[in-house]
Amino acid sequence: MFYPHWGVEQMTLFSLARKNIKGNFNNYFVYFVTLVFSMVIYYTFTSLQYSEKIQESIELSDTMSFMFGVSSIILILFVAIFILYSNSFFTRKRKKEVGLYAILGLRKKTIAKMLFYENLVMGIIALVIGIILGTLLSKLFAMILIKLMGSTADVDFGISFLAITQTVIVFMVIILFTSVQGYRLIYRFKLIELFYAEKKGEQIPKVSLISAVIGVLLLVVSYWLILKPFPDEFTTEYLMKNYGIAFVALFIGTHLFFRSVTVYLLRLSQRNKSRYYRGTRIIETSRLLFRIRGNARTFTVIALLSSATICFLGATYSGYYSNEKRAEEVVPFSYSHLSKGPEFDSQVESIIKADHRHPIKAQLDIPVIQVKAILSFQLDYDINPVQLISESTFNKAANALNKDETVSLSRNQAAVIQPRFTEYTKSVFKGENITIQLPQGSSKLPFVHMVESNVLPFDYPDFFLVVSNEMFAEIAKKEAPLTYKVYEVENEVTAQATSKKVNKLVGNDFQVSSSFYTEYKQGKEGNAITLFIFGFLGLVFLAATGSVIYFKQLTEANEAKGHYEILRKIGVSRKDICKSIKKQSLFVFGLPLTVGILHSCVTLYFTSNFMSNLIGINLIVPILTAIVFFVIIYAVYYVLTVNTYNRIVNK
Amino acid sequence: MKTIVEAKQIKKVYGAKGNVFSALEDIDLTVMEGEFVGIMGPSGAGKSTLLNILATIDEPTTGNIVVDGINLTKMNEEQLSAFRRDKLGFLFQDYNLLDTLTVKENIILPLALAKLNIKELERRADEVADKFGIRDILNKYPYQISGGQKQRTAASRAIISKPSLILADEPTGALDSKSATDLLESLKDLNEQDKATILMVTHDAYAASYCNRVLFIKDGKIFTELVKGKRSRKEFFNKVLDVLSALGGGANDVI
Repeated sequence: MFYPHWGVEQMTLFSLARKNIKGNFNNYFVYFVTLVFSMVIYYTFTSLQYSEKIQESIELSDTMSFMFGVSSIILILFVAIFILYSNSFFTRKRKKEVGLYAILGLRKKTIAKMLFYENLVMGIIALVIGIILGTLLSKLFAMILIKLMGSTADVDFGISFLAITQTVIVFMVIILFTSVQGYRLIYRFKLIELFYAEKKGEQIPKVSLISAVIGVLLLVVSYWLILKPFPDEFTTEYLMKNYGIAFVALFIGTHLFFRSVTVYLLRLSQRNKSRYYRGTRIIETSRLLFRIRGNARTFTVIALLSSATICFLGATYSGYYSNEKRAEEVVPFSYSHLSKGPEFDSQVESIIKADHRHPIKAQLDIPVIQVKAILSFQLDYDINPVQLISESTFNKAANALNKDETVSLSRNQAAVIQPRFTEYTKSVFKGENITIQLPQGSSKLPFVHMVESNVLPFDYPDFFLVVSNEMFAEIAKKEAPLTYKVYEVENEVTAQATSKKVNKLVGNDFQVSSSFYTEYKQGKEGNAITLFIFGFLGLVFLAATGSVIYFKQLTEANEAKGHYEILRKIGVSRKDICKSIKKQSLFVFGLPLTVGILHSCVTLYFTSNFMSNLIGINLIVPILTAIVFFVIIYAVYYVLTVNTYNRIVNK
Repeated sequence: MKTIVEAKQIKKVYGAKGNVFSALEDIDLTVMEGEFVGIMGPSGAGKSTLLNILATIDEPTTGNIVVDGINLTKMNEEQLSAFRRDKLGFLFQDYNLLDTLTVKENIILPLALAKLNIKELERRADEVADKFGIRDILNKYPYQISGGQKQRTAASRAIISKPSLILADEPTGALDSKSATDLLESLKDLNEQDKATILMVTHDAYAASYCNRVLFIKDGKIFTELVKGKRSRKEFFNKVLDVLSALGGGANDVI
């Protein structure tokens, strides 16, 4: 028996592993790129998380570290799954090679060690490259984030040691795990299994009408559950049950859709012989049919991932997109404060007037009387104290804000301003009345109108009642009104310095800020971070799903070389083969994407129902933007795939 | 009688400066309509290169080829594809069937690509299926049938578009002797009854004995030619064996 010297064995093992990498460059390259890609993404993200500049420039958001923390966990999970997937993909392609070593007489232990070291070395090299690339990229991403937040902080990134440590720890765990998997490969399979790993031919899938029908039914049920209107009584239990079932049905339904419904439809299209037996359609249909089983799981994951990403992107982008509108609703005027005597008021006024870059467009006083009142019906909103404003004040204020709502009331009528963050409609108040209670007796006013333009910053309870001028004057005699001073200035979205001064002087008159700018900026920063995080994660998912299809198609291309060679011999021109590849790739990319978009539209409809602050905001533009963005990136992957596929089979 | 193949001064050189290997040197070949011609020779003699050039899969370095009145050297890729589809039928050692198509779909593929109307297509599919006795397996997939059945499927595909020339590259190479004989008999019938023109490259003297004429190639040149004439197949077989032993080297896998 021959016992090689330990050192010598090490050396030969190492050089054998190195030769392997050289020889199988393509397979290694794909796996390697996956590793580097995951590391770059993860490192970039953590380095952003730890960067002081980013932390500093967010003066007002406290949700940041929470958001980053949660996203970081999602990212770790995702990266781990992605690497494991691509590792198993890579291993499958190498089973035969491993079998060959065993046949040639290498001991199992030697082979196992070789695979272990190979994976370890590759992982470590990828880690170094990943961190270097990540450092460069994180600078770019930080600039994007700061741009989104609208801050002017200059970006100067050093290397974050915390981020490096965290990245190294996370990936060393993953790499060690895959290396151990590699070590165990030779022990897990019989020699014969290793040899025939790639030979297992795919068979034509059988048509199962039952599972196709179940698939469609499940999809219909889940769509119905998602789309059905909210019940009157809205509980967490209902939420969990209804949407839990909906999403499980959606998941299984999607899988069955790809597994059976598409098979069934393709089979159906084969029935029409005069169409099917014409040109290259026969080749495409049959190839797709053969591949669909193997692709069903991938398609499901991709459709669901892309729909989740579109949803997140759409929802967060609409938040970002509609921030100005939301801020305007919460703080209608540029500055508002409670009058505290002429001296104080003029002090505030002089600050605002001193800002020549934001000249005053309108300036008015809004007298408000706070009274107790009772509604003639049950409303699940705490209305007291009710804030009364007069008809003329409301009309003037609405006019100053460029709102085209006016109120005209006769003496005893009242109009309600829709409480913010609620969805009460006109019909809720129609035919009802409100009784204002004053120490000197009460007066009953019928509701004749509901308006949506608020004139003062939000403060709970947000129940404003517009009453006629006469009524207001009458009540004012008994209950002294408070006076709010409000200013509307030009270009309020940039009034940073003045807002700071006003805020400092005025203090907290309302639950929200007294200046529009502060509210606007706060919302913008918060939204920018969510948008950035979801955008970043979306990009990762997108790139990952695109790459998965790309890799799958390339593997398929390598397997299909013979297939296309036969076709060329039979007399299919290169041009027709290219067309045929385009059609097949379009199907492979288009199908999961279409399903994903459909799912996301349904889910977004639900989201917009659910999040009341999104109501009334135009969701179409942001959602379309997210979808178009998605389609464009997929299109890039499509072109890339078609080109490479074509190069492989149609040289 | 019509001339189907007219190849003149075919030369094929591989490699670049300094390291040149010539696979074919000044080959002249003429095949008349209705002939069944065999090409034999030791490994590396250039048989397959010649067949590939005639099949327009490969290009000659110099020389001129006319098949059924069409000059191959002057066509572009698109025209060559159309030419292969309309004028040539192929039969290969490894069958070259598409595993994603049923036997029937494999057979009718050339017609589907030529966009023939469905009625004519079905009629011809039935016709060739009967000829090769594969009617029962029309709806099976290649992975479900035997080697002999696969080769008969391939042969059906080769003749379905009524090509001017059928090119066969070691068609019996992967078959057991019974299946090989069946296939050769079918080719012979095709040749005699339908006047099909067949050019077959083979290693096997037994297969070659089914031809009307056998060309022997050695080192890229035509070594000799045997014509069957009035001889019986058995006599012709012995003649082929004689030439092969004279040819030597590489032909030692003869029975």
